[in-house]
Amino acid sequence: MIDLLPLQVDVLANRYSYVVFAIVLALGLYMIIASPNLVKQVIGLNLFQTAVFLFFVSSAYVVNGQIPVIPKDATGTFVSPLPQVIVLTAIVVGVAMTAVALALIVRIYDAYGSLREDAIREVRADD
Amino acid sequence: MLETGAVADPRPLAAVLVPVVGAVLIVSSYRRPALREAWSVLAAVTQFGIVASMIPGVLGGTGYRWSMGEFVFGIEFALQADALGLLFAGLASFLWIFTAFYAAGYMRELEEHGQTRFFAAFAGALAAAVGVAMAENLLVTFVFFELLTVVTYPLVAHDETAEARAAARKYFAYLFLGGGVLVLGGTAAVYWATATYGGAPTVTFGATASGLEAFFAADPWLARLVFGALALGFGAKAAIMPLHSWLPDAMVAPTPVSGLLHAVAVVKTGAFGVSRVLLDVYGPALAAAMDVNLALAALAAVSFLAASVIALRKDHLKRRLAYSTASQLSYIIMGVALLTPYGIVGGLLHIPAHAFMKLTLFFAAGAIHVETHTDHISELAGIGKRMPLTMSAFTIAAAGMAGIPLVAGFVSKFYMLVGAVTLEAQLAGLAFAAALLVSGVLNIVYFWPIVYAAFFETAGDADAKPLIESPFGGRERTTASDSPVQPIADGGEDAGYAVDRAPSDAEVPYGGDADHAHHGGPPPGGWERRQPWSESTWLMTMPIAVVALGALALGIVPGSIAALDLAIEVAESRVGEALSGVIG
Amino acid sequence: MTDLATLPALLVVLPILAAALPIAATIINRRVGWSVAALALAVEAGLTAWLASGVYADGQRIVHRLGGTELARPDGGYAVGIELVADPLSTLVAGTIATVSLVVLAYARQAGPRGNGFYAGYLLLTGGLMGVVLTGDLFNLFVFLEITGIATYALVATGDRPQAAVAALKYLLIGTVGASMYLLGVGYLYVRTGTLNMVDLARVLAGTATWGEGTWLAEAGALYAEPLVIASVAFITAGLGVKAALFPLHVWQPDAYQEAPDTVTIYISALVSTAAAYALLRIFLIVFTPAFFAETPVAANAFLVFSVTSVVAGSLLAAAQRNVKRLFAYSSVAHFGLILTAVGVAVHPAAGPTATRFAIYGAVIHLVAHAIMKAGLFAAAGSFAAGVGARTVASYAGLARVRPVIAGSIAVLGFGLVGVPPVIGFLGKWYIALGAISAGLWPVIAVVLASTLLSLLYVARILEKLYFDRAETPEVDQKDHPATDPTDSAVAADGGRTALPSLGMVALVAGAALLAVASGFAGAEVTTAIDPLVEAVLAGSPEVGTNA
Repeated sequence: MIDLLPLQVDVLANRYSYVVFAIVLALGLYMIIASPNLVKQVIGLNLFQTAVFLFFVSSAYVVNGQIPVIPKDATGTFVSPLPQVIVLTAIVVGVAMTAVALALIVRIYDAYGSLREDAIREVRADD
Repeated sequence: MLETGAVADPRPLAAVLVPVVGAVLIVSSYRRPALREAWSVLAAVTQFGIVASMIPGVLGGTGYRWSMGEFVFGIEFALQADALGLLFAGLASFLWIFTAFYAAGYMRELEEHGQTRFFAAFAGALAAAVGVAMAENLLVTFVFFELLTVVTYPLVAHDETAEARAAARKYFAYLFLGGGVLVLGGTAAVYWATATYGGAPTVTFGATASGLEAFFAADPWLARLVFGALALGFGAKAAIMPLHSWLPDAMVAPTPVSGLLHAVAVVKTGAFGVSRVLLDVYGPALAAAMDVNLALAALAAVSFLAASVIALRKDHLKRRLAYSTASQLSYIIMGVALLTPYGIVGGLLHIPAHAFMKLTLFFAAGAIHVETHTDHISELAGIGKRMPLTMSAFTIAAAGMAGIPLVAGFVSKFYMLVGAVTLEAQLAGLAFAAALLVSGVLNIVYFWPIVYAAFFETAGDADAKPLIESPFGGRERTTASDSPVQPIADGGEDAGYAVDRAPSDAEVPYGGDADHAHHGGPPPGGWERRQPWSESTWLMTMPIAVVALGALALGIVPGSIAALDLAIEVAESRVGEALSGVIG
Repeated sequence: MTDLATLPALLVVLPILAAALPIAATIINRRVGWSVAALALAVEAGLTAWLASGVYADGQRIVHRLGGTELARPDGGYAVGIELVADPLSTLVAGTIATVSLVVLAYARQAGPRGNGFYAGYLLLTGGLMGVVLTGDLFNLFVFLEITGIATYALVATGDRPQAAVAALKYLLIGTVGASMYLLGVGYLYVRTGTLNMVDLARVLAGTATWGEGTWLAEAGALYAEPLVIASVAFITAGLGVKAALFPLHVWQPDAYQEAPDTVTIYISALVSTAAAYALLRIFLIVFTPAFFAETPVAANAFLVFSVTSVVAGSLLAAAQRNVKRLFAYSSVAHFGLILTAVGVAVHPAAGPTATRFAIYGAVIHLVAHAIMKAGLFAAAGSFAAGVGARTVASYAGLARVRPVIAGSIAVLGFGLVGVPPVIGFLGKWYIALGAISAGLWPVIAVVLASTLLSLLYVARILEKLYFDRAETPEVDQKDHPATDPTDSAVAADGGRTALPSLGMVALVAGAALLAVASGFAGAEVTTAIDPLVEAVLAGSPEVGTNA
């Protein structure tokens, strides 16, 4: 069945999560680059990381897979727990990063009174 | 390259380490100048003693070698004493003895700052120079080559003026280009080539030729390129054109540095390196087969002619001597590059010959500077009255540079002429011989005026010197006349020396030189007459006299000083035929 | 040898656990952090030495399987769990980390921030670095990279000025993007091969996996030409390139190095980018192997272009800097470019066995050499900043008279960067040049040789200022009496602060210089030590060293 569909339609129909992953990745990266507000940059970073998690999760999807808690004498298809573990770890890492980033932003705001990159640069130029 | 019978002997290593120990002792006695200079002299004497003790053995066929284990993969850090190395090492250490005295006198008379740094770096430079001489392979040569640059940098920048710093920067740039880039690349290429084409990777002198022969057979242009990199890399330190322009600028260093290092130790290291490449890395047979030796000889010939021409127009005495040095070093390179037996002997003999003569000239220049603060030739008229011994020594050395018999330069030049004429390519050989003769004439042209002015002119009655004073292309009117000089129409300064109004050095000097034109020269009333023993401190006149006598000795009885024997030994072993000594 | 097998885990866990102690000890004393860190790192150094003695005794490879063999490698098949691997390559870098972190503590005694929180971060950073170096699993590498990153961002932000927080935030944003790219690359690999262990991954990619008969694995053959694999290489390179500060991904580095406290700069310049470069080296050589680059030469060429550009751009930018720490930061960009050029040459399809051998020697030796030299240089810069308030090249004028030992060490280390033998900087350059010549890669040869002159551009400036320039303010007449002892004649220069450098500072700087010269002669030992790595790469085996 899949062979009959052209590649693009197949991707959009059956692998749309990867498309979303790519779009969200680009969005997050764009936010980091283009936004002058520091907090928005951190949000963009989070978006970027979430996209990566989406990639892992969607690659781990198994049709009719059961959760990976395997009782004795079990049969059937189970989902591999490894990608889920990867994503969980990465989420934790991301949370820690965000915490550190926000702490730094609090300190920057204290010192410069602004959350905007351009304003901070002006204030720094006067130092 | 060691022939059979290399004995394990720590003396090569000792010869390198003695000045290092000396440098440490010099630094630790910084509060007592007399003791400090004594360490210098002692280290020099010891080093010369060690080197000289190895000469008889080497002439008899035994070599000495000391290895310190594997340095990098497949290459040992080893030092060896063979004929070529001892020629250079003996020369450098012998002349250091007298330079140590001279430098002590020079620095004291001028009350220079930073003398401890000076003497310590000087000792280090001698250690590195002898290290280059004693290296067993290209990589160890490279190590000491680079260390020499590093250690002599403080000597060039000694004055700490803006001019000195700029000169030192240029020094670094040229010498690291030559060493760190070209020689390093060439050495790595030789290692790779001998590994790929010769079976076993090596950079040891004497062992690389067979691998490189196979390399040349496989890829001739690449082999020539590698040769070119090595030759130019070592040649940069020998001030071959076009990489020569660091040398005149380095004359800003104190004269003992200009003398021993930039006429003997440092620049001769470059010429020595080129000789090693020609004789031991590639070998005469392969180099001739590759046709690179004639190209190198031609470059050297152009270099010495051009440098001689440039020297004609220099008014600053040390700069004229610098260009003369650049020119004479190219003699050495040309002589060895001819690859005929007599050419090799001549080229190698020119190493000590030129060293003695040039050192005398620089010592004289330094003594003049110390005693009278005169740096420019246009102010030297009549100075023979004031400094008879110095100027006599200058005359002897200048005669030798031109190739007048009985002084050292004649012997080496004669061998080189014979070597040129016996070249297989007759026409090329005649061209080289002609270049040598023309250059001899040019030498006379730029040294004779100094001698004439010193002895046969009086201050205030100096002849015009059109070579120095006139701009290129001439001028509408000359200044040669006995009447007071007329001011130029464009409103120059009023009557004084012509050079004040038309400075001859092509480049505008940094702040210092413009002043010198005014406070050098004879005092009002002309030079006072002095006796040879009272013209300057004995610390300076003694070395001048000794080195000048050495130049004479090399000219009169070259065979009795080991130099000629060593040179002949090298030539015979590389070229494989026995030579009858043409002279002595 | 079971006790040796627990050492890798101990090495990673000890500093991380110890990181909790200074914080906990705050209830007793606010200044106990330094002592706790010193004790922990001393024990760490001892354990590393023990591990090294085991590994280098006969080129062994010590593997610690987290969770034991039954859980980590059930039935001896492919790895499910995480392995920590101490082989001749990783032990060398681990030893460097242990030594440098201990020695920098000596520096921090007087200079560094003193709060307990700082030392907690310091220990966490050490633990993270040990993890990066010792791990055998790609995702574990990501986790430790991020631990290292968090600790580094926090340490950078402990600088005095608010600019430090800005620099740390910039570093955080760029560094996390990089780490996430790396994670993406790992994800692509996992999707294609199903394993994250470096050894297994190498086998699957090469098509030589020993498990999975009857499945797609056995029929797949070598996976080198697959688009997913090629894309993963690109992402991994980009990610680790950010961490190792390759041009043009280096933009976080100058600000971070400049604004961080001097102690932190020494540490991170010596180790953090080193760990990232080590990771890149390992992944390229062991996981992907030169066979991958033989299939996709454009990858090798593109990588070489980047590293060579780093060398040139880093040196030129360094030559233009006024602030000394920024100058050294750009110099790091150039030298990591050189190290990664060596890696690129080692994997290039044009490189035969000799070229690969020499390029690997050069890369590893220069990795360690650069760590030693940069640590010493930043320590010297820090002691000048602390002692006489000199932070720009211009303010270094004439400092050699008042601080001769430190100035002399800067000279030695600077010449090491230029590549003057026998300082160890020369050794790496020699092997890299030899490797490039053996491979016949002309542009690379030209740049490696030109790097001598490029480094000279900025080193000569500093040395000239130190030794041959006069300070503007008049000072005690030092004519003929150069002070050889830094504890006498402290001269008031601009700024007025005349604190003499502590013994620890001077010891670190002088020690680095001495070590750089001494190890310049130890080339033969180091190359023997990393021979197992060369053998493994040439044989295409992912296991470096013989299994214990």
